[in-house]
Amino acid sequence: MSRARLSAENLPTSVRVVLVVLGLGVLLAVPDLARVTPLSFATIHKGLLFGLAAVGLNLLLRHTELVSFGHVAFFGTGAYGAAVLATYYEVSSGLVLLAGAVLAATAVALVVGYLVAGHLDIYFALLTLAFNQVLFAFVVQSSFFNSTDGLSVRVGVDRPSLLGLDQLLVSAGLDPVQAYNYVLYYLTVAILVVVVLVTWKLVNSPFGRALDAIGQDRTRARFIGIPVERYVWIAFTISGIYGGIAGGLFALLQLHVRPEPVLFAFVSGEILFMAILGGVGTLVGPIVGGVILVYLLDLARFYVTYYHALTGIVLLAVVYFLPEGILGSLPALGAAIERRRRDPGLVRNDVETVVTSVRRSVRRAVTTVRILVFGVN
Amino acid sequence: MTGRPSSSNDTGGIERRDALKLVGGSTLAVALAGCTALIGDESDDSTEDADVPDEPIEAGLQTFTEGAPAVLGLQAQYGAETAVRRINDDGGVAGREIDLDVVNEGDEHIQNYRQFVDEGKDVTFGPISSGGHEAMVPEIEDRGVVNVATDGTVTTLYEESFPDATYSFRFQNHDVMEALAAVNQAVEVLGADSIDTYAGINPNYAFGQDEMALFSSGIEKLTGAEEVYSGFPELGADDMSAHVTEVNGTEPDVVFSSCWGGDATLLLEQAHANGMFDSTDLLVGPVLYGSANDLSADLVDGPIYSGSRNFYWDEPGTDRWTPAADLVSEVQSEYDVVPTAHFMSGYGAVTAWATAAEKAVDVLGRWPEQDEIAAILEGHGFFTPAGYHTIGADHQGYSNAHFGELAWSDEYDAAILENVSVFAPKDVSPPPGTVSGDWIDAW
Repeated sequence: MSRARLSAENLPTSVRVVLVVLGLGVLLAVPDLARVTPLSFATIHKGLLFGLAAVGLNLLLRHTELVSFGHVAFFGTGAYGAAVLATYYEVSSGLVLLAGAVLAATAVALVVGYLVAGHLDIYFALLTLAFNQVLFAFVVQSSFFNSTDGLSVRVGVDRPSLLGLDQLLVSAGLDPVQAYNYVLYYLTVAILVVVVLVTWKLVNSPFGRALDAIGQDRTRARFIGIPVERYVWIAFTISGIYGGIAGGLFALLQLHVRPEPVLFAFVSGEILFMAILGGVGTLVGPIVGGVILVYLLDLARFYVTYYHALTGIVLLAVVYFLPEGILGSLPALGAAIERRRRDPGLVRNDVETVVTSVRRSVRRAVTTVRILVFGVN
Repeated sequence: MTGRPSSSNDTGGIERRDALKLVGGSTLAVALAGCTALIGDESDDSTEDADVPDEPIEAGLQTFTEGAPAVLGLQAQYGAETAVRRINDDGGVAGREIDLDVVNEGDEHIQNYRQFVDEGKDVTFGPISSGGHEAMVPEIEDRGVVNVATDGTVTTLYEESFPDATYSFRFQNHDVMEALAAVNQAVEVLGADSIDTYAGINPNYAFGQDEMALFSSGIEKLTGAEEVYSGFPELGADDMSAHVTEVNGTEPDVVFSSCWGGDATLLLEQAHANGMFDSTDLLVGPVLYGSANDLSADLVDGPIYSGSRNFYWDEPGTDRWTPAADLVSEVQSEYDVVPTAHFMSGYGAVTAWATAAEKAVDVLGRWPEQDEIAAILEGHGFFTPAGYHTIGADHQGYSNAHFGELAWSDEYDAAILENVSVFAPKDVSPPPGTVSGDWIDAW
């Protein structure tokens, strides 16, 4: 984990600036890119939102080395926070709905964080999973949340208003649905940039270093005077708030919230996978992972019969070939390609390594089968 | 129905022109009604000179293609595919063939519809899910691409939630029709005077709650019966024995259950295992027959009556109604299943749109815009092998509702319905502009 971080940090400032500008440029150009290519604008938008939740999860995973299997609880709480305000209180302001989402998620994250902060490893993972499932079961059983049918995020049939900016675009001649989606997308991008900057500042602050220390060894961290449980609690809450913001924006995007897509424990696993896919050791890797995984999950089923298998194959490929994730592996991949460009003879070594590895695996498999069939002798 | 008739004598006295007129005036409408043999394969296409694009019509269907709900979802897919096959064999809608993409609806109804629209689909069909359909309607109205829902039959959808929909339609009968068909069936079997108590076991979501509420209102009005138990197991529950035990304890005269798919099979298994049919005189279930291909001879034994929504494949009987016989034979050879009501959900949704689109081309002399097809769909009438259907001004489909006694057929190796009762739409649904609850209250 630290190796990838060092690699990224070792990049020259000028390269980092170019990458940031490039990334921002791509983000801002997504609506135009989607217009001229078969890319799905709505899916990329959704992917960014799950990526935002994965950035929150990664704060825990990367620094305190705590694996949460229940992070979608905050995403779902945020989404339902907005939906409850729209359905029962007829709140039509998108920003108020978002504020409601963040407040709800913060409250739940504070409570859950307080209860899990003192636990480690599998106990922490199982507790987060358990709280997630309790919340899911509560919503599914509750007529207030309209059980599995969920709640609308509209007042009547109207979409929430986004500071009147969407109406401004409509009066300029844009289609109302397009205007709403564009404004919401750029709001998402703005929030995403702020969240990434805040996270960057946070992880490079004394607080972030303390979280690293906690992740490395809790006992030692405690001995040097770090209030471990309190810091984990704060990190957990911040992480939950990210999930709440993402969930609130998701509610504004989908305009209808149902429990399965925003509260079910499997989705927590997907958020965890997004962080791993993009690169746990990187700041923005989870966002890349979010976009790629959501794209796979949402759109592969339109083109591939065995789309579940496709997702599994991607996971296997990442674990075996890109253990640092897509972004996390880029520096190492770049360096390897550069070495092979300078010395093409290395490619032959690669082929030999692969062949040897395959041969060894086949031999091991044959031996295993022989033992299974004929016994040890 | 094979071979080509040469005279009205060969078609039971029906002239080709009369046949065309009867089913809507085009060979496409005739083909979808399953009556092509009546008119032969000569073209009588009044849309031939219309200004219609050459490209095929891009259509999308979302339905359950995996998991327990696929019991219903695959039937809808088979139905839609069969209708598309017949349309394309007939030369298409005003000469345009249909390309149908099918996607699993899962929990992504809005996402699926958006993706279809972004891909440039001309029309979309589905879903099966009631909650998913309700979530989709505002999106359909925003995007303005006509969707004809195969199911998603909650009564309040067009009566209360979205009474002014423009682009959203539903082909299958809504819940009030099958719940009241169940009430009428119970009264027909037991007699109103013999029904003093009733109970319900229904899935815990909009559909199950809607069905139970409507059944309760109806049976209390018709018989004065009292509810003694109402349980709502989760959709996809793995145990219903607690509900069965409650029913056994209260010994109701009638049990009503809108459980479907795997839930229906589980309910019947546990009802038999726990002796529920010794504690009640009758089980009526509007969609038990949806699992016809998954039931066994043991499970259908007992006083069990099931609805079959707007289509039961043997009503009118296949020995008297060749379009149904042809359809059953085609479905069995193509998919190796007996078609259920959800087959017709898919078949009818495609037929509704295709015949309306062709009518629009006939009227306009060009390919219609979305709002023009939507306008034609309101009040549109058409035939399928199940008979005559209309889409009301409220965007709801109206057809005969079917109910019958569950039995077993060795010939088909599937459950069948015997003593099928057919209820006309006017007897089981409110007059236009009236809310179902108010209508039943006024009985």
